[in-house]
Amino acid sequence: MGTQNIPSSVVQFALADKLINIGRANSFWPLTFGIACCAIEMMATGCARFDMSRFGAEVFRPSARQSDVMIVAGTITKKMMPGIKTLYDQMPEPKWVMALGNCAISGGPFAFEGQYSIILGADTFLPVDVYIPGCPPRPEALLQGIIELEHLVSDWKRWKNPEAA
Amino acid sequence: MNSPILLQPDETFILNVGPQHPATHGVLRVKMEMHGEYIVNAETVIGYIHRMHEKMGELKTYPQFLMNLSRMDYLGALGYSHGHVLLVEKASGIVVPERAEYIRAIMVELNRIASHLFWFGAFVMDLGGFSPLMYALQDREHILDMLEAVTGSRLTYCYFRFGGLYNDVDDDFIAAARRFIPRMRKSMKKYHRLVTGNIIFRKRLEGIAPLSKEMCRKYGASSAVARGSGINFDVRKNEPYSVYPEFDFDVPVYHECDSLARYMVRMDEIEQSLRIVEQGLDKLPGGPIMPDKKPKLIKPPAGDYYQAVETARGSFGIRLVSDGGKNPYRLKLRSPTYSNMHLFDEACRGMMIMDALAFMGSLDLVIPEIDR
Amino acid sequence: MICEKLKLTLQTLFPEPTSAPLEAQSVGDDQDKKTITPPPPRPDGLLEREYSVHGYHLDAQIAPAQLLVAVSMLDDADFFIESITGVDWIKDNQLEVVYDFSRYDFDLCRVVIRTRVDRKSPVVPTITEIYPGANWHERETHDFFGIKFDGHPHLIPLLLPEDADFHPLLKDFKA
Repeated sequence: MGTQNIPSSVVQFALADKLINIGRANSFWPLTFGIACCAIEMMATGCARFDMSRFGAEVFRPSARQSDVMIVAGTITKKMMPGIKTLYDQMPEPKWVMALGNCAISGGPFAFEGQYSIILGADTFLPVDVYIPGCPPRPEALLQGIIELEHLVSDWKRWKNPEAA
Repeated sequence: MNSPILLQPDETFILNVGPQHPATHGVLRVKMEMHGEYIVNAETVIGYIHRMHEKMGELKTYPQFLMNLSRMDYLGALGYSHGHVLLVEKASGIVVPERAEYIRAIMVELNRIASHLFWFGAFVMDLGGFSPLMYALQDREHILDMLEAVTGSRLTYCYFRFGGLYNDVDDDFIAAARRFIPRMRKSMKKYHRLVTGNIIFRKRLEGIAPLSKEMCRKYGASSAVARGSGINFDVRKNEPYSVYPEFDFDVPVYHECDSLARYMVRMDEIEQSLRIVEQGLDKLPGGPIMPDKKPKLIKPPAGDYYQAVETARGSFGIRLVSDGGKNPYRLKLRSPTYSNMHLFDEACRGMMIMDALAFMGSLDLVIPEIDR
Repeated sequence: MICEKLKLTLQTLFPEPTSAPLEAQSVGDDQDKKTITPPPPRPDGLLEREYSVHGYHLDAQIAPAQLLVAVSMLDDADFFIESITGVDWIKDNQLEVVYDFSRYDFDLCRVVIRTRVDRKSPVVPTITEIYPGANWHERETHDFFGIKFDGHPHLIPLLLPEDADFHPLLKDFKA
């Protein structure tokens, strides 16, 4: 989780926390931060056919101060890395990070011998919560990632897991 | 004691646009020196997505490099792959069956329409209108369905092989493509009614960022940037390759040189691509999609080769320097957006910042193609 | 035909006629697979190339001092700058800068201008005065190969990070 040092309150309201977490899970506001090819699939997920809005996550905020999920979509280069760290630090708590695509997970197809320019994965410098593999991942995979993040954030499950056979 | 803050008449401030910004089409940074709302000077900083494609061209063998081309310009990926396979086939002397060339042309044109639709949605969104993005991406999904059924990918295709294709098209694809063409024509009428006639849209684009022919020539601009300034240059007509001489299509050229002209060029190009797809489906010959004889190991003879193709963003060129080995000695990728973007620094002097961003949208930028 | 006219104009750069055209030597399959010898460096001169094989028409190899003259000839003939790149010929201890030019009209003529410099201290004059579009191309070539363009207004890294001091496309570069 991206939340590290939240001071716990003197009086705890378990039911209120649970409700707040369900609210958070159903209204992620992603940061518009498409770096490369995966950004196109992110935009396609936000549009009519795949419709991220069903899960409450269609409000892309350009400003890091107003968003709570950073979807790192694309290859991270050494030149870009300080910018991403700055954006992550600018986001207010609670915040989460999703690594979309193979490049953000581990460098992807560019993790090649002789590579001088990219960072091999977002988790080398950011605390990633959900990894979505694919090159690029299908929009359905991004939706699955959002649902996984919802499960991480709150105990409430959108639907039951199918019984193991 | 109050001390008033007095602004000097010619005082400027530096505004940093990007690399994360809703209007830039990828990770692009522009440092602008502003005097109020007017740009005095601009400097573009790129390299935030430099992924060493050219070095990988030297480290990988020819077939291993096929996947890199799609990651450069992911919206028009098939056009890039087309250029690469044509170059290696030309250098190695591999003959491509006619059916494969026709299918390649049909796929590239469908990909071009998908790329222009995405550009259209993103461009109007930059100007503030959110709805066309939804409609355009919905139409694009139909194209992606067709291409996915044949190639297996939605975005980063690796469909062309040296000598032809790896998968043939079936009757479902042909029927779907034939159904798509009239639907797309109807959609284009809708877009023209919704967007092109809109008074706000026209006021934001008419007269904005005029680019002279001389400027285009000095920077090597191509595609709608050149064609919107009255230069009749399309690699498919000026330097024909593949089966494009068999098709009957026009090249839209507008002479107003402003952003609206560049917009109209791309919208008209969608219609011309539909014509090519129609003719391609009519003329599609039977036969194999891979040649009978193909070298097991691709090793073009030593020398220097160049191939240019017309992609959605302009004239894409590949230069291959081969030493006869199984890796290229040097593979240079000449990206059209690199040359198109370069004239932004000089052309946006004196503009208001909102006009400069509309201008950037009309250039149709895909930043990973600039940075390679 | 612009190609013929340009050939005569460019030929004036070379006082002696060019020696017999060097064919690209195929050193591929039938040779010993371990040693691949590149063709010997060709002398300065103008060659006409087979377009259907190589993809361009005219190929001029010049000395760096003649570069501005040659590029002005192309500018007067209404060519546009396509790209500038470099090639590292480590075995000859030279770096080559390759300039591609082409035309907008239907009188197709692709011209390639090459110039070779020493690998230890590569300096080539800049053509940004003639073609402002060469600015970024030269910066990129400097990034990748370390070639210095004499007179360039702003030769800082373009694609690599601002503080990069390595040149990745050199053949002896180790990441």
